[in-house]
Amino acid sequence: MHTWKQIRDREFGNLRPHRFSNRIKSRRLSDLQLSNHKDFLSPHKGALNSLQVDLTEGRYLLSAAADASVAVFDVQRPTEYEAGGLISKHRCLFLVDKQHQLAHKYAVSSAVWYPVDTGLFITGSFDHHINVWDTNTTQVVVNFKMPGKVYRTAMSPLATSHMLVAAATEDVQVRLCDVASGAFAHTLSGHRDGVMSVEWSTSNQSRTQLGRRPSVLKRSTMNKESTFKSSSAGQTTSAKLRVAQKKLPNGNGSRQVVVGRVPAKGPIKQRLHPGMLSTQDRATAHYGAVTGLKVTDDGMYLLSSGSDSRLRLWDIESGCDTLVNFETVRLQTNKPIQLATSQDSTRVFVPCMRTVKAFDMWSGSTSATFRGHYECVNSCWFNEQDQELYTGGSDRQILVWSPPRLISDEMEEGIAEDQDSWSN
Amino acid sequence: MDDSAGEAATSSSLQDDLTFSDTLVALQIMRAQFPHIDKVSVQPFILKSQLYSSVKDRTQVDRELESLRRDKVLRLFKLNTGQDDHAIMFLDDYIKQIDQVFKRMEVKKEVEYEVFGWFKNYVLDSKLETGIEHEELCSLLSLGGKVKDSHISILINAGVIIRQLIDPNMYWFAIPNIGTLLKGLAQGRNELISLLSRRRYKEMMLATLEKKRLRMSPLDMRFHLRDLIGSGHLRTDHTPSGLIIRVSKD
Repeated sequence: MHTWKQIRDREFGNLRPHRFSNRIKSRRLSDLQLSNHKDFLSPHKGALNSLQVDLTEGRYLLSAAADASVAVFDVQRPTEYEAGGLISKHRCLFLVDKQHQLAHKYAVSSAVWYPVDTGLFITGSFDHHINVWDTNTTQVVVNFKMPGKVYRTAMSPLATSHMLVAAATEDVQVRLCDVASGAFAHTLSGHRDGVMSVEWSTSNQSRTQLGRRPSVLKRSTMNKESTFKSSSAGQTTSAKLRVAQKKLPNGNGSRQVVVGRVPAKGPIKQRLHPGMLSTQDRATAHYGAVTGLKVTDDGMYLLSSGSDSRLRLWDIESGCDTLVNFETVRLQTNKPIQLATSQDSTRVFVPCMRTVKAFDMWSGSTSATFRGHYECVNSCWFNEQDQELYTGGSDRQILVWSPPRLISDEMEEGIAEDQDSWSN
Repeated sequence: MDDSAGEAATSSSLQDDLTFSDTLVALQIMRAQFPHIDKVSVQPFILKSQLYSSVKDRTQVDRELESLRRDKVLRLFKLNTGQDDHAIMFLDDYIKQIDQVFKRMEVKKEVEYEVFGWFKNYVLDSKLETGIEHEELCSLLSLGGKVKDSHISILINAGVIIRQLIDPNMYWFAIPNIGTLLKGLAQGRNELISLLSRRRYKEMMLATLEKKRLRMSPLDMRFHLRDLIGSGHLRTDHTPSGLIIRVSKD
């Protein structure tokens, strides 16, 4: 068969191991469908708002819901089997809900793992609080009070020198909260309305992307003396503001993204970064709010989804719109959505109302549509290790989409096959 | 007799006419097929959704539109019907449209109409986007002469500039005299979708559908079909007896 031939090619050296694994992965990626062997039993009683699998092991799935509950699932080891060992059911390892002391009072909008290990996770909620939890004892370790509802929290996946949580709230300023000290480290201003989504760059540990209510994408750089490459440590530079307005060679001229580089000194509370504030420098990325952001794994492109039902792909370095047209008909407008990309940046998974659509990143054509949720899908996460897609929706379910496992092989192994029952 | 045969030939071949290879070709042919409307005189314009249904690769459409826009061959206008509606008009047609409006306004009063000339020469030439800020507009117009507030209000009254609702300081460029057509566009879309939704299987053959006439829209069926197919509300499928149009489920 095809796979055996490829294995033999790899053995003989005709096929490089890297290419072999890429081929298998992309074939599995194009075969995604509602999983016939895996199921999550969701304990939530409210709409799912956010999903994340931890970045270190790829084993634990953290889900946050609108009934103020947060649950953790083990993705690889199921808690029980059904149908004679064919379907694995995963129950949650623990659930933190309203009965818990110090839990959130209103909907939890976002839950992220601490990027370094799974000992901590950070949740942001509509009750204006960001809690940092210790996973093993499920206790709140640090608590931050925000001035408005928290829409998204994000931690940098590459950070080695800081433990900052970027918080996107109803307030116009994005705050960077420092977990180590329990204080607010930076404030990023420049938006004129609430910020709905925030993402850290995957190539630079001190860059964030912010997407806000009416339609502006801003990139802001937070630099401390030790990480900013061109200023020497100990130099007390006054903030040198270089705001470049880039004309887009390939993109629509009205959509200019501001590039603001502000060398700031050390942790400063409540400092305004005027370079990003001047009114001429505003750029309209979407007609309407920016509801979701995703940086590709190589850190070179940014996807943004807007309430004008468009999905745009931006080149981060130049700030240009690549003008790839994704065939989205309708996107959810009132809630932030979570997009997912495959690691080799070929597919984008976008929640479009009740379905999740997979688009080819570079041409914009729809490669698959996943229909399974009963209500709007709010978030999706792609598990690179197993090539599985997890989606959470307002119908309180977490669905798994995976390449199909051949049931007939499993049956021949141990279970006595009943020749007369053919309605498997 | 010849004319009607020609008409029948063009209208019955919408199935063949539905897709084109190139954006500029598609634009020119759709401009030629713009329906003739009796009461209102508007130069032909094309909706962006119509382009999407006519050329297969949408990314190619976007990129070619962008380069044509920068070459000042055509202009894009944001419409207020729906969220991402844009109208495309060739620059010559737009200038003709402005001149028509200008002539009609000149009949009434003789005051400060040089602003139209300044608008055509300075603003349209340098500002290629769909919107413009108040200060920039004044500075570009003042290249022609001293700008007063009455000049801006003349432009707004003519319908060439429209205030943005979100931001009081910014204006959209607009096509003047297009109001009735936009209303007809919205009503025609609703009528066509409800026509198909009322049927038992929510579908109809293209050949029968294109012969119907819409009551609430001055624009013809072909215009609306292209627009709705491009925006994703309707789908086309190939059947052994021709194309069939279905209402698409989300």
